Amino acid sequence: MTVAAGLGYVLIALGPALSLFASVIAKKPFLILTLLSSTLFWLISLIILAGAWRSFLPVKSTELWPYSILILTSVGFQEGIRIVFWRLFKKMEDMLNAFADRVSKPRLFLTDKMLLALAGGLGHALAHAVFFCLSLLTPAFGPATFYVDKCSNIPFFLISAIIALGFVIIHTFSMVIAFNGYNEGKRSDQIFVPFAHLIAALITLINLVPGGCNIGLPLLCIMAGTTLYYSWRLVWRRLTEHQTTRSSD
Amino acid sequence: MDDRSTDSDRGTDGERSILDTLGEDIIRIVTPVSLCMLLVVLLVSSLSSTNDLSSSISSLFLSSQPSSLSSPNLLGSDSTWEEIKSALITAFSFVVVVTLLTFLLVLLVYFRCTNFLRIYMGISSLFVLSFLGGFISLLLISYFKIPIDPFTFAILLFNLSVIGVFAVYMSKFPISMNQGYLVTIGVLTAYWFTMLPEWTTWALLIAMSLYDLAAVLLPIGPLRLLVELAMSRNEEIPALVYEARPVDPQPGDRIRVWRERTDVRIDATENSTNLANVQPVRETRLVVSEEITAPLIETFPQTSDRQLGSEEEEGEGIGLSLSGAIKLGLGDFIFYSVLVGRAAMYDYMTVYACYLAIIAGLGVTLMLLAVYRQALPALPVSIMLGVVFYLLTRVLLEVFVVQCSSNLLMF
Repeated sequence: MTVAAGLGYVLIALGPALSLFASVIAKKPFLILTLLSSTLFWLISLIILAGAWRSFLPVKSTELWPYSILILTSVGFQEGIRIVFWRLFKKMEDMLNAFADRVSKPRLFLTDKMLLALAGGLGHALAHAVFFCLSLLTPAFGPATFYVDKCSNIPFFLISAIIALGFVIIHTFSMVIAFNGYNEGKRSDQIFVPFAHLIAALITLINLVPGGCNIGLPLLCIMAGTTLYYSWRLVWRRLTEHQTTRSSD
Repeated sequence: MDDRSTDSDRGTDGERSILDTLGEDIIRIVTPVSLCMLLVVLLVSSLSSTNDLSSSISSLFLSSQPSSLSSPNLLGSDSTWEEIKSALITAFSFVVVVTLLTFLLVLLVYFRCTNFLRIYMGISSLFVLSFLGGFISLLLISYFKIPIDPFTFAILLFNLSVIGVFAVYMSKFPISMNQGYLVTIGVLTAYWFTMLPEWTTWALLIAMSLYDLAAVLLPIGPLRLLVELAMSRNEEIPALVYEARPVDPQPGDRIRVWRERTDVRIDATENSTNLANVQPVRETRLVVSEEITAPLIETFPQTSDRQLGSEEEEGEGIGLSLSGAIKLGLGDFIFYSVLVGRAAMYDYMTVYACYLAIIAGLGVTLMLLAVYRQALPALPVSIMLGVVFYLLTRVLLEVFVVQCSSNLLMF
């Protein structure tokens, strides 16, 4: 439905990501590099998943169980890869610290590490939004719109944009939570992230039922809000703790 | 692994961490490359719907191929095989011509005819800006139905092209104009290349990256000879090179590490019936001065090779933002954009995947340069990664993602 509608859908899906980018990430060039490499990493994870599932696609049945297996394996794989991503991150942090020592600058601050985690999470979110939502938005720039049978009261593009928005928030902030959890060794954080991811992905399974998206979309937004709130509490706690330990030295 | 103990004492808020300035130079080179690719993608996607002019140019290329494609083939598999054969022949002849011309360039530099080279390249950039720029502007005007009369158009085109030639060759011009015009020349040439038929484009990209690899790394490679000539004489060869930062090259500079490429464009005029009628149009180079270190490699730049840019802070020791600027040859811009433009003709998903692959390849190349500290080709890694990702996306990812998204299943 014309360029305006297409742009509108893009901004719905990527608006918060864009404002995060412009306000936080664009200021430090290294974060942009982290973002790009993180997007590439998660794209590779998507390609591996697609390769593994290629011979079983296209799924012609309308039953629930093939899709749930798809979702379960994909989420499991992505959460497993997240640990690999974290190990790569630790290596990069060590290299950065060694470099900082050599040029006699201060080592990475806590806020730096959190910013790096945020950039990594935003990369994951961008990979999801771009490949699941944006690449299908090309017809939306044309003169017509498209409706799916199972959800016939909202255009398809709007649904996928809202789902992408929910997942952008979930992915970005669960990376922050996950990195903090792995760094501190806190079990609750480490369990929360895969759990949230799984629940969010299973919520989208509701969309398979006709009329299910009326329930699925709000639930997804609630999930995104929960992740956001959890991450906010975590960061607040860490920063105040860090402040008090420093001032008590 | 409690990392509270590794945090240093954070002083006032004004204290900068290394995260603030690290990686600046890489971003300064990634931004214009991304901009060039974005413009080519926009041009391709908007102009591919106006099929009259551009498809006639495509058929011109097809008919100029040395094969029997002038009559439309009715058998599907036959025409694919014919296309592949003609694509390979085209790519091979292109590479042969480029090799010969690069050797000619080496000879010219050896006999110190640099003035001739300068004038020649000035004329060729004028050609690119005025003819190609005019052609593509006409396509845009007809597509967007912009009301403009021929005289205004001619005056504007003439003025812009002449300023472009000056901006590219005279060092007294503001650096942003220089950079802007270089990106423009890259966009125009890349769009021209995307008008080639599909198999030819891919064969050409792969052939050029293999040629680049051979020409820079083999001892008899023409680009390596050029590098050694330039190093032994310690002088600058005239070239179309994008500088990521204003640098004033002076005659005594000890620029050690060079990456060079030579690019030749096929000029298919109305009278050409085969690819033997080619014209060497422009040479491009990738030059990197030795101070560039990638942020994650522990090589520290030697202070003795610092250039004479006095505005740089000598005390600041962060790797990439020293006085040496990254320079990238225009041919690299062009071939990256050709790959992305060709991906745009299929679908936007391949565009995003190829864009990420190319940027990753560029980063890898820069890091390899910091490690090996010798002349390295800029094309192979990016183009190979781009082609691999294009194939993977087209074959694997698209089916998967469309299947999931059309059922509104996302994870």
